[in-house]
Amino acid sequence: MTLRLTERAETVARQPVSRRRWLGKGATSAVATAVLIVVLGLIFQACSALGLWSEADVPAPSTVLAEFGRLLGTGEFWGDLGRTALEVLLSIVFGCTLGLFAGVLFWKLPRVGRAFEPYLVSFYAVPLVLFYPVMIVLVGINASSVVILASVMAMIPMALNTTVGLNGIPPVYLKLARSVGAGPRRILFSIALPAAGPFVLAGLRMGVVYSLIGAIAMEFTTAQAGLGYRIRYLYETFESEQMFGYIFAVLVLSCVITLSLQGVERVLSTGGRR
Amino acid sequence: MTVHAPNRGGMPKRLLDNQFVGGLALFIVVILAWQLCSSLTFVIPAPVRTLEVLGANLTDASYIFDLRVTAQSVFQAFLIGTLLGGLIGLGLGLSERARLWFEPLLVILNGIPKIVLYPVLLPLFGLIGAKVAMGVLFALFPVLINVATGVREMPRVYWKLASAVQANPWQKLIYVILPAIRRPLLAGLRLAVSLSVVGVVLSEFFATRRGLGRVVLQSYNHGDYPVMVATVVLLIAVAFVISILLWRWEKRLR
Repeated sequence: MTLRLTERAETVARQPVSRRRWLGKGATSAVATAVLIVVLGLIFQACSALGLWSEADVPAPSTVLAEFGRLLGTGEFWGDLGRTALEVLLSIVFGCTLGLFAGVLFWKLPRVGRAFEPYLVSFYAVPLVLFYPVMIVLVGINASSVVILASVMAMIPMALNTTVGLNGIPPVYLKLARSVGAGPRRILFSIALPAAGPFVLAGLRMGVVYSLIGAIAMEFTTAQAGLGYRIRYLYETFESEQMFGYIFAVLVLSCVITLSLQGVERVLSTGGRR
Repeated sequence: MTVHAPNRGGMPKRLLDNQFVGGLALFIVVILAWQLCSSLTFVIPAPVRTLEVLGANLTDASYIFDLRVTAQSVFQAFLIGTLLGGLIGLGLGLSERARLWFEPLLVILNGIPKIVLYPVLLPLFGLIGAKVAMGVLFALFPVLINVATGVREMPRVYWKLASAVQANPWQKLIYVILPAIRRPLLAGLRLAVSLSVVGVVLSEFFATRRGLGRVVLQSYNHGDYPVMVATVVLLIAVAFVISILLWRWEKRLR
């Protein structure tokens, strides 16, 4: 905390220089990323033009882009996207709420937290995908089996991060709250959770990413609809071009989600401190 | 374990026992819930039955072959993923410019559901290579990110000391960097182990000739649920035990 404060003080003192520098850094990164993506795309294009692999296996980027554009106009694509979005959204809501709740519980009852810790740490979100066949036997092949597992995947980083954040609060904050006579609810919502805010936000970001990864991986294994399902279906029916259009769509989707989450986190964490 | 009690104040021994006892209690609760579920629905085999099936499977030569295929791919994926992740992470940690150029792209790549790339890997690497490549993709990122962050956050005085004793790059790596980043490195390795299992088995769900992922999906399709559950439990248990051991080691390094 103090480190950030001094940093800010310095920024204020030498604002013009350091501000331009910071912007320059961010812009360099953005430009570099864009350049890298374009260069990679061109290399792929050149390789498939040279015939290093057959167009039927891996189509050229220009073909994929055209196919992606065509997909955006079809109802089927939006149906699959809607299904995946619904699953991911539900699991984010359930998972992050439960995770926050669990994190607070583990903070209040350290013994329970300690009992759960090894399991949470080693089931760190992704191995749970392996339970999917068991889940579809139990619940059936439908959205709810995906939502249940993806919720648990979102819950784990949320619960772990909330616990770490809450345990890291300086004890003096809580002492102060008690000495001004704040009730347990006010302590939790006005002191503890804001103080653990950066950790909770990081947990939220990871929860969103994991539930997206989990939902698509499970759809890919077997499902009835959704982006992951469609990719597998198109693979099995040898519709390579359309499949690559869908793969590209998933890449774009996750890229947009990652970037917007980073943006939100940055805005929230600096806005809260001002 | 109690021999290595942490030197925190209070009752370290009892604290350590508590986590073990608490974890065990939780485990027993889960087993009891499993037993209850299995008596409610026929599709879930009871824990004891699952163990029996697992035992029977492990004496079956064909199952052992599947197990070996999967284990081999996981091991290769873990090894390649860790080495590659470590090298790239080291590069990113050491060079400001590399970070500026490649970090956003790597963050984005880390966020994508990598399994959708499997159809791309399949023609490029072939049926066996593709699942190893998928495992590498899964295992790569935690090591890469942890090594890069670890190297970047090394205290400056370490570098000064290293140059004061005129250490060559190799000595710097072995005697300065590796000990300094041992904890994030170990955490990355722990995640890489279970992620390489997941990457390989998920690929085997998709398309492969042999392997435990295929056993799971095949027994699902045949409605042979005891074999399916036993195999899932085996995979989860192996990943769990390895990561718990690494986690305890990591905690002891504190």
